[in-house]
Parts: sequence; structure tokens; C-alpha cells
Amino acid sequence: MTADIGKLDTFPKLLMHHAAVRGSAPAIREKDLGIWQTWTWRQFADEVNAVACALAALGLRRGEHFALVGDNRPRLYATMAAVQCLGAIPVPLYQDAIAAEMAYPIQNAGIALAFAEDQEQVDKLLEIAPQCPALQRIIYDDPRGMRHYPHERLLPYDKLLVQGREGMQRDPSFVEREIAKGSGGDTAAMFFTSGTTGVAKGVVHTHASLIGPSRVAAELDRLDANDVILAYLPPAWIGQNIFSCAQAYVAGYCICCPESSETVMIDMREIGPTYYFAPPRVLENLLTQVSIRMEDASPLKRWLYRRFMDIAQRVGGAILDGKPVSTMDRLRYGLGDVLVYGPLRNVLGMSRVKVGYTAGEAIGPDLFKFYRSIGINLKQLYGSTETAVFVCVQPDGQVRPDTVGPAVPGVELRFTPERELVVRTPGLFREYYKNPQATAEVKDAQGWFHTGDAGYFDADGHVKIIDRVKDVGSLADGTLFAPKYLENKLKFYSYIREAVCFGHGRREVCAFINIDPDAVGNWAERRSLAYAGYLDLASRPEVAELIGSCVERVNADLARDPQLAGSQIHRFLVLHKELDADDGELTRTRKVRRRFIAEKYQQLVDALYGGAASVHIEAQVRYEDGRSGTLGADLKIHDVKTFVPAAATQAA
Amino acid sequence: MKQRYLPVAILIAVLAVGLALPLATNASAPGFYIEVLLGGLMAGVLYSLVALGFVLIFKASGVFNFAQGAMVLFAALSVARIAEQVPLWAAVLLGIAIMVLLAVVVERLVLRPLVNQEGVVLLMATLGVSYFLDGFGQTVWGSDIYSIELGLSKAPVMILGDLFKGGILINKDDVAAAVVAVLLVAALAVFFQKTATGRALRAVADDHQAAQSIGIPLNRIWVIVWSVAGVVAVVAGMVWGAKLGVQFSISQVALKALPVVILGGFTSIPGAIIGGLIIGVGEKMAEVFLGPVLVRAFDLAGGGIENWFAYVLALLFLLVRPEGLFGERIIDRV
Amino acid sequence: MSAQPRPFVEEAPRGATRRVIGEVILSVEGVSLSFGGVKALSEVSFDVREHEIRAIIGPNGAGKSSMLNVINGVYHPQKGTVRFLGRPRQDVDTHEAAAQGIARTFQSLALFKGMNVLDNIMTGRNLRMKASLLAQAIRFGPAEREELEHRAVVERIIDFLEIQAYRRTPVGRLPYGLQKRVDLGRALAMEPRLLLLDEPMAGMNVEEKQDMCRFILDVNDEFGTTIVLIEHDMGVVMDLSDRVVVLDYGKKIGDGTPEEVRNNPAVVDAYLGVSH
Repeated sequence: MTADIGKLDTFPKLLMHHAAVRGSAPAIREKDLGIWQTWTWRQFADEVNAVACALAALGLRRGEHFALVGDNRPRLYATMAAVQCLGAIPVPLYQDAIAAEMAYPIQNAGIALAFAEDQEQVDKLLEIAPQCPALQRIIYDDPRGMRHYPHERLLPYDKLLVQGREGMQRDPSFVEREIAKGSGGDTAAMFFTSGTTGVAKGVVHTHASLIGPSRVAAELDRLDANDVILAYLPPAWIGQNIFSCAQAYVAGYCICCPESSETVMIDMREIGPTYYFAPPRVLENLLTQVSIRMEDASPLKRWLYRRFMDIAQRVGGAILDGKPVSTMDRLRYGLGDVLVYGPLRNVLGMSRVKVGYTAGEAIGPDLFKFYRSIGINLKQLYGSTETAVFVCVQPDGQVRPDTVGPAVPGVELRFTPERELVVRTPGLFREYYKNPQATAEVKDAQGWFHTGDAGYFDADGHVKIIDRVKDVGSLADGTLFAPKYLENKLKFYSYIREAVCFGHGRREVCAFINIDPDAVGNWAERRSLAYAGYLDLASRPEVAELIGSCVERVNADLARDPQLAGSQIHRFLVLHKELDADDGELTRTRKVRRRFIAEKYQQLVDALYGGAASVHIEAQVRYEDGRSGTLGADLKIHDVKTFVPAAATQAA
Repeated sequence: MKQRYLPVAILIAVLAVGLALPLATNASAPGFYIEVLLGGLMAGVLYSLVALGFVLIFKASGVFNFAQGAMVLFAALSVARIAEQVPLWAAVLLGIAIMVLLAVVVERLVLRPLVNQEGVVLLMATLGVSYFLDGFGQTVWGSDIYSIELGLSKAPVMILGDLFKGGILINKDDVAAAVVAVLLVAALAVFFQKTATGRALRAVADDHQAAQSIGIPLNRIWVIVWSVAGVVAVVAGMVWGAKLGVQFSISQVALKALPVVILGGFTSIPGAIIGGLIIGVGEKMAEVFLGPVLVRAFDLAGGGIENWFAYVLALLFLLVRPEGLFGERIIDRV
Repeated sequence: MSAQPRPFVEEAPRGATRRVIGEVILSVEGVSLSFGGVKALSEVSFDVREHEIRAIIGPNGAGKSSMLNVINGVYHPQKGTVRFLGRPRQDVDTHEAAAQGIARTFQSLALFKGMNVLDNIMTGRNLRMKASLLAQAIRFGPAEREELEHRAVVERIIDFLEIQAYRRTPVGRLPYGLQKRVDLGRALAMEPRLLLLDEPMAGMNVEEKQDMCRFILDVNDEFGTTIVLIEHDMGVVMDLSDRVVVLDYGKKIGDGTPEEVRNNPAVVDAYLGVSH
């Protein structure tokens, strides 16, 4: 059977294959009302079949687009698969996007049918309905709160399913015939990139461009039907689609949907996934939580933790990489594994993780080492929405914190003279939807894709990414300035949630800091420092001192690197509000939009470089309910100690 | 949150060293040492059983029940005298029935009229109940020393004779008492943690008003909890009566439960058990091994350590950890 | 499909199509209550209809909480009657009121601090548990089944209130807004006919208030529960309730729809005009 699975060229074909081959094995699980409910591959395929029949009856045709808005739920995945069965194209949208952000994709793709998880999503779609005349019907899963909604255009999923089953009875082989019409070159899905600048673009992927790389990567990591993954990231993000759909369909493993976004930690522990993906931000949050808990623990536990984490830092990574380590250290590590690392992995829900990936942005080396040192095989990969994630992957035993590994088999890489990475891969997207100009800008006639990322090959042929090409700059004296690199270094400190560094064309580097309210709040509580919310906490001199010491340590570290010694941070201020995607300061994947922030807070940047001791700001803020208001605050500007470059000292 | 691990750790370390000292300095033969230890544990089990009654009532109604000792005496007297007429098992059942009846009467005549009164008033009321029970027990059952026969041989059994010189002497009924105590504690734990009634009891313990608002009748809960404390008293009374004979002094010795609950925490069932064992072992050890040291070093008479040791220990704990070893520190968010 | 897309119908205004308001299920008739010489309530009468959301408002010390406590059986009025489901009640105790189907939440939290969220809400099922003590203890067949049935109800409430992440968390560790939700959950677990909410939004921030409003509306909507609430936030009261009773110094000075009350001069003088 495995022989012919390689020939199956579309997702629906793969789905039906698993339903036939491992019909009673779990395909998808969801925790509902406190209990894990399981759909087997056969049940799942059956539901997909019914939904496809119903969608066809609603008028969904080959090549048309279908929007999906919601969290990871079996019904969302079933609907997505059903859409693909009909040869139509699912367009997953970010469930935390505000209504206005949803209007463009729906207009752009001329979407007539949509799936919405619950009232919240239905409300958003109803809000933009007047701007989207093509939108005809909204299928919703959870009816709560919508009892009295006029249901002219709303259709409950349950009813859809009933209609679908009736349709299936009338024509049992309908979906089978539709699936057979599809081929690998058809469009499989469209993902809208939020993009750090400009309007969102629909990235069109074919079945072939999603299945190809998924297959190669699954073989590389020996994934099979026994693996388990927790689907907790937004379905609209291509990574989530690759890990929880494409690779699951290729390898036949089980996807688990958490009970709610708040229960992910608990669900992780219960499920014990074997395959795991987390963007650095999530790993950072987990580590912050661990650190906070350790600070509250009894002195004995704190002592054990510190003692054994030192050992892990020293030898843990080497042991995982299979490098030679002295017997004494192995014994110490073994003891640590029983006392600290094992329980820690268990708390994190990573006891069974055989391979974990992180990507999306550069990860702080210390953060990365932390997970590897406690025995979790965390690796980095490099890719993007346009390249279906897998461009570079670190093979086992060749894992480094500062590179993303060599090219995945079948992928070609090179760097332009401007240090830009260009890629040719079977996973390359076909085009930006209805945007040939944008497509031409990044994809040339020979099929090379311009990633926009700057970097180089290291001595072993591993790719090292420093930053976006457009963001890498230089200080006034020509010193290399890689803001992302600096920000990551700052963000490794659990007290710093977000940092924005400035310096291009300037004589020195300055930074905005967002404190982490949890970590700093906890720190303040332990010092009996009373505060009345984020702003108050952020403006405390004690907090500034704390942050200052973090920045100083970053500087000390930078001074050791001859290339980066010149970009030490001279001054910083602690921002009056948390940077927020709703205010456009972060992308939906929570990347800092540095240029936007520089413009929005021009006044603050000027103050940093103007030598002022403090600056007053009035800022517009948008609350979660959509209202906006103004916030006024005096921000203090702090100088930081810088260090003489190590190389210079040695020379002298 | 203020961390107070250090003084507690020091106190526990001192106790541990004190415990190990007789052995380490060869002041005692290991066999004898273990006998003293077991004797202490045995007394500890008795303290634990009485303390358990205190904790149950305190947890569920916030009342510090001074009458617990008197209840033990009354239960022991009832069982002992009834057992003269009927088989022991029937006497036990009748004893339990009497204690449940007592619970109903106490709720009707004492607790219900005094509901919503200050804690001191209720404390005084239980003191009254205590004196009443002491006297009433003698009125009904007589004031001699009675015995409860569990049917086990009183002759001590020697074990581990080949390991220690002279072996270790233990009593069968001591072992039986320990087993009964363990079973009782397990049953109580299941009752409190796993049953809806147990949940209701915990609810009442936390917040009377809220418990009533969800339909839990306070009066019934009080009857239940006093009945449970009554059953515990029956068990404690029997164990004690079988060992020392049923007599008035039971009611006095039961006051040792006070330092036990201070040590273990007023609201903790495991605290009552462990506190009882610590006090039982501690005072026996102090009596046997510390006494002679005091005689030699300070030329004191050296007796009576058993009488004050528990209270001094409790006092020390009050200083370093007022909520006891296992007591709940109320977690409040400001 | 028609060429011209049909417009989406706007959500109907509250009260128009939402629920069918039923018969009177609670009537308060001429109730007077005093503590010592202090009159807390004098001659207050109003009624509550099935499925409606009824608010009691008034300045501090107007007797709102006393009124709730009378309905709930904490206080027994010296004069007047309270009729619930048509039957007059005299001197009904709190736990008896609960057994009749009246649940409440508390202004200052009164959760069972020693228990986790799950157990707190489970206590709300206490009245409905029938198995004997012994059967419960040994988890004898029917008792086990009963426990599971009640657990299923509680799980639906946990899902409804979106507190799945905190099942095993001791309630004392939860932030205030979540504790309020657990309090509501415990009351809901009783499946009450009448739900009394004592300042459900007190001390909450805007976002928590919105969440709580949504929960109250959904409770009313999904379960058809009749709700009587006391609230200080006038915006909340006007948005949520079908009818409002206004108390001042223990006397009723207004009664009607939010619109009527807002335009009632006596009310404006006593309350609306002064503060807020």
C-alpha cells in the first residue's frame, strides 16, 4: 500500500487512502466537555464526503474559493477537506483578525460561501457582508448566542451535514467522481500573507507544491501514522496547514484539537504530542512561565533547578547531538533527567516529542539551547508561505542555534550579491492571486524565488539568516546594524516582551522596550512593589533599572563580537503601552513592524536621539471592543553602559 | 508572600537530631530504642484519633469543640458498659447510635440556638457540653474503671529477636489499634474527597452563606459532622479503653489533642495524624532519654516531661508557623 | 440565486423577537423589612415574569441587597408576602429557597476557597444528588452513574462560561473576573428557575464586563432562565434588562422598561441625575 501512496497527488485522494487503509485509526481528536473525542479516518472521510455533497448542492463549484474562519476544530478541517474534494479552494482566514481585515480576502477571491466557527466569527462576517456582495451563505458550527439571528443566510453545520447525508444517499459515488477529477497541478489552498507592509496577498498553492515538500520532510524525520500533533496555531497560517493537514495526510498521523486556546498547556500534557511545532514566541512564553514558577518554588527546588540547569547547559546539547561527553557528566545529566529535566519536559507536555521545530523568526540562542539541553530535540527550519515552509531543515546531529540548516533535498539555494537568499523549490507557490505584478517581483522566469531575507552560508554550508534584506542597515560610520538580531538578544530576558531597535544611518543604536507584564509584575510583587496596571508598572524607576541591567548585559555580549560590537545599545525607553497587532504595530504572527512603529512614534525616536531626559506622549489606543481612546504618559529615557570591543582591548 | 521555610526547617532538624541522638551516642540499645519509638507511635495514634474529631468539627463549623475528650470518654463508657450485656459488635453499633443521637441533641439544643454567635460563645458552649458529658456519663454508666475486651491476647509478642539483643516486645492490640486507625482515616479521606456529602461539608466549612444559597441545609451538615466526630470518638474510646481501661482520665488525656492540632494545623486531616504521631513519639523519647540527661546535668528530678513536652513543642510551632504543618494558608488575591 | 443579493437583515433589537416573556413567577407584595429601628424596605411591591431580565437599581443604601436577600430567604420580612410560582412563602430559609429553584451569586465573592473550580460548580448539583451516603462513598453503580451525569452538566457549564483551562485550579488563585464566572457557574449548576445576581459586574474592567453581559444574556437566552439583578453600572442595566425597579430609601420610586425609568422624573432626581 505504501508503494502507491507516493503516487496520490491530491489531499482528497490521500484522505480516502487513509480511510481505506487505516479506517479505524484515529485521524483527529478534539477535547470537548472535558473528554477527548476521536474521529477515525473512516468517520472523518465519511463526514467530509457528506459535507462535500452538501456544499456542492449549495453551489460550490470547481475552482471557486471558500473562506474558513475559526480555531482548530475537526469540523473546520472536515469542511476544508470537503472543499478540496470538490476541486474548490479553501481560504483559511486568521480567526483573531478584525472584521475589516477579513473584507479584502473575501472580496479579492470573490467568495460566496464561508465557514465560521461561532458567533464571534459570524458577527464579523455579517459586519463586512455589505462590502462583500458576493458572499451568499455562512455555515456556522457552534450555534450559541445565535438563536435569534435571522437565518436567511446562516446555515448551521448540523443542518448542512443532514443535507449532505441525504445527498450522499441519492448519489453515493458523487464525491468519489469529483475527487478523481482532481490532479496535483490544481490549486489546493490559498493563504493570505499579512505582510509587514502593504496589502495582503493571496498565496496560491497547488496540491503538488504542498504535498511534495511535506513528503520529503516527513521522510527526513521518519514521521509515520503513529505520530501525534497538537493543532494549536491559527489554521490560516501555512505552517499550521503543513503540520496539521499536509503532513498528517502524507504520513497518516493523528491531529489533536485543544479544548480552547487557553487550555493548550493542559492539552499538551494530556496528549503528549510526538511531533511539535512552536514559533519562538511560544517557546519564549513557556520558558517565562517555567522561570516564574521556579522563582516561586521552595528553596530546595530552586537550588536543584539551578544546579542541574547548569549541568544541562554544559552537556545537555552535546548528549542530544551524540557527541562525546565524559562518563561523570553523563551520570550527572542522568540524575538531572530524573530530578529536573524529565519532570520539566512533562510539565511542558513534551515528554514524547521526538522532533520539534521552531521557525518564523530567528530564535534567541539561549532560548533554543534551553530546550535542547533538557533533552527536547528542537530544531530549526527555514521557509515561508510562498515556499510551503520547508526550504532548510536542520538534520539530527547538525543542530545549531544560529543557522537554519542546509537545503531540504530537492531545493536549490543561492545568495545574491546583496546577501539576499533566493530559492528554487518544488514547494514554490504558483502565484499571488490576481496580482501578476507582485508575483513577478519575487519569482523570476527561471523559477527562483526572492525571499527578501539576508544571510550567508557558513563554513558547513548551513544557511545563516541575519535579518530582512531591507532591514539590515548600517550606522552612520558604516558599522553593520542588524536590528532583529539585537532585538532577539534583548527579548531573551524574560522581563522584556518586545524590543524595537533603531540605528540605521544614526551614530548609535537606541531601543524601545516593552516589558513583559507577567514576568515584571511577578518580580514587582516579590519586592512588594505596588502598581496599578501596565503603564504604572512600566514607568517605575525600579523597573527601568531592571531593564537597564538586561540591556547592559546584551551590550557586554555584543562587545565580544567584533562585527557587532559597534551596535551596542546606548539609550532606551520603556513604552507606555504593549505593542499590539490590532494597532498595526505587530503583524498577525506578532512580528514587530519596525518601520510603522518608527513613524507612529517619531516623537519618541527623536527624543532618544535628541538627548532629552524624558518625553511626553499622547497616543491613540484601540480597545478590544473596537472603541478607541487616548492615553497620555511621560516616558523617561535611560542611558546604558557600553563596553569597549573585546578585539580592541586585546589589540591594545 | 513571606517565606518562612528556614525556621521551620531548623525546628524540624533539631527534632530529627534529638530523635537520632540516643542511638548515635549509644545511650540506648537499638532494641530498646525501637520499643520506645513504637510505644510513642502507639500513644500518637490515640492522640491522632482525638485530634481528628477536633479537626472534623472545626473544618465544617468553625467551632473548636472542647467536648471532644468528653465524647471519647462517653463513647468508651457506653461501649464498655453495653458490652457487658451484648456482644462487642452490637455494643459498638449501639455506641455509634448513641453518639449520633448525641449529635442530634447537641445540634438542636446548643448549635441551632447559638447560630451566628461569636466563636467564643460557641467555644464556651462546647465547654459546657464537655462538663455535662463527663458528669452525665458517670450518672448513667457509673464511675468505676471498666474494661473493653477486644478479644486479643494481652501478652506481648517478641519480634526480631535474632536482630536485636532481647528482641522487640509489641502488643497485638496495639497493632490492631493502629490498623483500625489507618482504616478510619482512609474512610474519612474518601468520605471528604469523593462523595457529594463530603463536598457539601467542605462547602459549609468554606462559606456558610454560599453553602446555604445552593441548598445545603446547615443544620443537617452539623448533625452529620458531629455524628462523624462521634464515630471517631467511639473508635478512639475503644482503642484507648482497651489499652488503659475506661476511666475518667481519658477525658483529661484527650486534651493532648490541643497541641496536636496546633502542630498539624486546625483544618488538616493529615496534619492531625502526623501531628499526633510526632507528639506521641516526641514525648516518649523525651521522657525516656532526655529525663536522665536532665537528672545528671542539672540534678533535677527529671520526671513529668511527658506532661509538658507536647505543649512546649506546640508553643514553638505557634511562633514559627502559626497555621501548623499542614494548615491552609488562605490564598488571597488583592 | 437572484442577481441582486438580498441584504442581510440587521439583528433585531432586544425584546422584539428574542424571547417570549411568560407569566409572573415571582411577586413581591407590600414587603417591609426593618433592622431594629432602621427601615430597610417599606411596602415594596413588584413582580417578575418568566424569562425576563429584571433589574433592581437605586443609590447606595436604597435597599437593593435587602430586597435580594428577602427573595433569597436570608431575611424574613416583617410585613408583606413573597409569592414564588404562585405559592406564598413565609419564613422560607435560604436552603429551602434554593430547593424551590432560586439560585444566586454574591457581590463580594463567596466561593468555596478550599476547592477547585470543578468542585465549586459541582456543589451546585448537591440538591439534585439522590444516592445515599454509603453508595456515594463506595461509588456504587447508580451513585457512580449519577456523579457522571452531574459531571456532564457541570462540563457543559464550564464550556459555556469558557473556563475549561481552570477546572483543577483552586478558585482562590483565579483572577477576580474569573472567580465571578465560577460564582455564576455554581448558581447555574442548580438549573434554577430564578437567578439572582448581586452586582455581577462590580469591580470589573470594561472587557470583563462585556464578557459577563454576554454570559448573562446567553443564560437568559439559551436556558430561558429568569434573572433578577442588582447593578450599579447604568449602561449595563439599560442594555440588559427588560424591566427595571428603582428603589430609594427602601421605597419603590419607579418601575418599568429602561426607557420609562430613564424618563421618570422621580428616578432622575433620586438617582440618574445625581451620580453616574
